[in-house]
Amino acid sequence: MLELRGITKTFRIGPTERTVLHDLDLDIASGELCSLMGGSGSGKTTFMNIVGLLDKPTQGSYRINGEDVLGAKADALSRLRGRLIGFVFQQFFLMPRLNAWRNVALPLMYRGVAEAEAKRKACAMLERVGLGAHTEHKPSMLSGGQKQRVAIARALVGDPAILLADEPTGALDPTVSREIMDLFIEMNRDLNVLVLIITHDPGVAARCRRRLELVKGRLATQEKLAA
Amino acid sequence: MIRQTLMEAAGNLLAAWQRSLLALLGIVVGAGAVISMLHAGAMARNETIRQFRQMGTDTLILRADSTQGMGNFRLGDIESVPGNVPLVREIAPFMIGGGPIQHEGQVRNAGYLGVTGNFSDVARIPVAQGRFLNAFDRFELFAVLGSDLAEQLSTPFEPIRPGSRIRVGRYVFEVVGVLAPVLQNPMMPVDINGTLFLSIPNARRVMAVAALSMAVARMVPEGDPNLATQQLQQHLGPGMRDSTLNVMSARQLIEGMNQQVRLVAMLLGAVGSIALVLGGVGVMNIMLMSVAERKREIGIRLAIGARRADVRRLFLLEALILSGLGAVLGVLLGFLGAFGFAWMSGWQVSFSPIAGPLGAGVSLAVGVFFGFYPAVMAARLDPIEALRSE
Repeated sequence: MLELRGITKTFRIGPTERTVLHDLDLDIASGELCSLMGGSGSGKTTFMNIVGLLDKPTQGSYRINGEDVLGAKADALSRLRGRLIGFVFQQFFLMPRLNAWRNVALPLMYRGVAEAEAKRKACAMLERVGLGAHTEHKPSMLSGGQKQRVAIARALVGDPAILLADEPTGALDPTVSREIMDLFIEMNRDLNVLVLIITHDPGVAARCRRRLELVKGRLATQEKLAA
Repeated sequence: MIRQTLMEAAGNLLAAWQRSLLALLGIVVGAGAVISMLHAGAMARNETIRQFRQMGTDTLILRADSTQGMGNFRLGDIESVPGNVPLVREIAPFMIGGGPIQHEGQVRNAGYLGVTGNFSDVARIPVAQGRFLNAFDRFELFAVLGSDLAEQLSTPFEPIRPGSRIRVGRYVFEVVGVLAPVLQNPMMPVDINGTLFLSIPNARRVMAVAALSMAVARMVPEGDPNLATQQLQQHLGPGMRDSTLNVMSARQLIEGMNQQVRLVAMLLGAVGSIALVLGGVGVMNIMLMSVAERKREIGIRLAIGARRADVRRLFLLEALILSGLGAVLGVLLGFLGAFGFAWMSGWQVSFSPIAGPLGAGVSLAVGVFFGFYPAVMAARLDPIEALRSE
């Protein structure tokens, strides 16, 4: 499903080269719920950028559903990103001037889905994440937890293969954080989408069936817990 | 999709409305300047045409110049022109002077014109009351007044009319006619409306320098002014001794004036273009600021599947909306400017049909041109860097 082979990423800053990721191999099956932990400087962000198709590795191969995704040019990459990957960010990153359903519908609009159809899908997805009553609200009228729900709806509306969440609970209090994790688990179960959560929070990681840890650009542990 | 993009673009501009307004201002002023200059050019052209329509384009003005100033024509030479110069149909010599005129305690300084009886016909000046001077008046103390002069010399109890008596120098003249108001004619050395007309013998009595130095002539229909000038030189030149003959034709003057108008229009156009370019730079500045500020938004859009073309379109549309709005307001400003110009110059209001579309089109083009670079910059952003920025 998600298949990384020999991923190496080297940054060149002036004359010095710095390798951030060392020859990483990783398979994640569709429908898995996976956490990725790692201290700062461990290459977490770089890893996520590569998995999220925002960046390309210096070496290695990357397949999603058997499809080689590293050969694509910028625009094709954008399209792949829109089709295969849903992003959830720590700071929600909603468009402040668009209401909830328009925010959720944005990826569909970029795919050329007609507005009526996009609205129908967006509202349905908002209903699913528990915001059926807030479809017309602007982000400024929503709480942090609600904003993150909108962001999750936006990430899932295009039916992606991978839901990539970067510190999704980092800006939320523990109660809301727990609710959001419940939502991730629920979506993972119901939609059979691969969820990869990058987090600092051991509590969040503990709720994932599979936990990964990056240490200095290498995968340290790959423990798989019984469900 | 386009509708949504349009909505978003408009929303973004509204959100930063103060800034948008400033960017707008440049475009509005630029478009307004270009458009009002085109209107002004059209008005100037119309005005020239109107002036000449009254006097006719077949008019020639002859002037005798000498080294001491005004030269002299011989009356007989001038009177023999119509029979001997095939292209000239009529000719009326005149002399120019000026001084005070009194009527019922009113005193006005005015120009005098010593003329022959056919002057009003040749110069196409209609008479409003009474008659013009004629060949039989000769030494009779008769005078004809231009319309403005007649009005100025009138008192509420004693308006100037045929039969009124006016004093010029040591003589008392009887008014035999008052002329209808005419448009300023750029060829005439005096303002006809403010002039006193006397016969040539009488003019010699009241003028300090009595030189028969000018004549107005009318060509045969479709006559070539250059050829007529040549013929006049051949006929009059030998008898003029120390003076030289100078012939000015209405057509030459129209061409000269048209050239001037074109020059002024070009100058105004250059000013307008500079303003438009500055307006465009303003748009670019605003758009670049907007791109820099909205880096993260661009990053999010790219992350959720927007192609570079989508981002480019969004920013280009914003620039287009700005310049479109600027164009609309600029057209309005241009028309206002044209009215103001007409009001100040006293010209008839007339509009150039191309001004609106041209001005609006140019400002839109400027908007697209200057909006393109920021839009491309936005589309080229690296999504990782864009997402990371504040």
